[in-house]
Amino acid sequence: MSTVATPSQHPAKSIESDPTLSFSEQSRAAGIGAETINDFLNRQPRSVLIRLYEKPASCLAIFRLVPMLARQLIMQMLFLDGPLPVEDVLSWMSKEGKREYEDCVERLTKLSILAIRGQGIKQTLILNGVFTEGMRRALTGGGDHRSFGVPCDTEDKNAVGVGFLDEYARTKWETILHYMVGSEGSVVPREPVLYLLRRSDLMKKTNETSGGRTSSLGITSRGFQFLLEDVNTQLWHLLLQYLDMAEERNMDLVEVLGFLFMLGSLELGRDYSTEDLPETQLHMLEDFRDYGLIYQRKASSRRFYPTRLATTLTSNASPLLTTTTTTSSSGGTEQEEERGYVILETNYRLYAYTSSPLRVAVLNLFVSLKARFPNLVIGSITRESVKSALSNGISAEQIITYLTHHAHPQMQRNDPLLPVTVSDQIRLWEREKNRVLQESGSLFTEFSSQADYQQVLTYSQQLRVLRWNDDQRRMIFVTEQGNEPVRDFIRRRVVQS
Amino acid sequence: MKAYKGVLLTCDPAVKQLILSIDERLRFIIMDLDETHLLVSPDKVEWMRAELETELEKNTYTLDA
Repeated sequence: MSTVATPSQHPAKSIESDPTLSFSEQSRAAGIGAETINDFLNRQPRSVLIRLYEKPASCLAIFRLVPMLARQLIMQMLFLDGPLPVEDVLSWMSKEGKREYEDCVERLTKLSILAIRGQGIKQTLILNGVFTEGMRRALTGGGDHRSFGVPCDTEDKNAVGVGFLDEYARTKWETILHYMVGSEGSVVPREPVLYLLRRSDLMKKTNETSGGRTSSLGITSRGFQFLLEDVNTQLWHLLLQYLDMAEERNMDLVEVLGFLFMLGSLELGRDYSTEDLPETQLHMLEDFRDYGLIYQRKASSRRFYPTRLATTLTSNASPLLTTTTTTSSSGGTEQEEERGYVILETNYRLYAYTSSPLRVAVLNLFVSLKARFPNLVIGSITRESVKSALSNGISAEQIITYLTHHAHPQMQRNDPLLPVTVSDQIRLWEREKNRVLQESGSLFTEFSSQADYQQVLTYSQQLRVLRWNDDQRRMIFVTEQGNEPVRDFIRRRVVQS
Repeated sequence: MKAYKGVLLTCDPAVKQLILSIDERLRFIIMDLDETHLLVSPDKVEWMRAELETELEKNTYTLDA
């Protein structure tokens, strides 16, 4: 079923979108995944980094984060006692590789891992002492740094398996996502998680329940974009916010980073002791339980299990949790779901072959759902459903991107992928919201002569504050910022003449 | 030489007519500028938008109940 819109909406103008804007670019525009952990590290002062390198686990984690060539450079120099002449390094490289080499050196210098001494052809590279020490320890073992976590030496009576941990991590993580999309019966995460969601601008307070005890949170445009990302990007997005918050909460950034990097080096399915962890890290343990990074049977438990969310943090290996469909209560089989599952028809009807409650909840943000079967939901895109999404700050372009991104393989034969009627109508609905634009400012009228009018007009044009003018009736509208300078200009000019 | 403080509304001609009809109930338009522009008093803008919304909804027909 479709809705009929008023016929007067800018029918002549063609509706264009920028097809060159890829999915990831849109995300970047929305600020999701814009900053990576690398950028974050680059921003840190040298003192923080050096203290970080005291932990072998951190050295190894950073080693895993830098590009291949940089790793090669580090490995070449790691067991070298003196500085390495740049000339020698360059002799290993082809001409094409030189640019890449320069990028790597720049990266490593920013991270204070590498330093360049000397000038011209006599330049040499020096590996930072603390980093060298830490990295050597990480590779060859030894020492009592315990930065790779301390496995429990006693057996856990309530030991849990990898399967359980995966399930646990997914449930925890999806609880957060479910809460974000506001699915029915979703559990409200603990306050620290909510705070993080608010702070990272993924959700914001809605006014609806201002009378109630707790004002509920609603998803923002950013939050919607966030939902479209893969889990690893989502996780890092939240963790970077967490890092930003660390200082406000008087947490030692080095310990926070060190703990993150340690988690990345732990073994899935093993239990680790909490005994040697400093105060800050115990605190983090508590926070990370909420995200499903860590499993503890009880809050007071002296051991913890890292989940796959944690152990894949710093590796670019397969991102965690395979998104399997949850088993339906009727005993259906758990199966890998294909990425594309949405069929959209020209009559605004939408069929989504999915049984994941999360996906259904996401669709529910902008689709009016009609029927639900074990592996299929049917709904239609209506003016109301799109308008409610728009009022939540989700843009038409985001809806269209989502539909394109998850289009069923059968839709791939269509060109364009989505029915033009539908995608255009979604954009029209968005435009309908903006039929009236407003801007505060001042209107100047009744100029005594055409010359006066012209002068003020040119002046406001130069200041770029002109919004509207009428030559015939000699009227000028300028923005709020323009009000004062233009008024002063008129006064000055009137005094002169 | 005169100056008015206010809010400049930019809209399509159809909507402008609707706004004019709302203005008949409660005056808020300071000056009718042209086909697509109006100068209105700032404190009534929110109210006007709400009124306009209901007015526009009247002209929309949806097939699902």
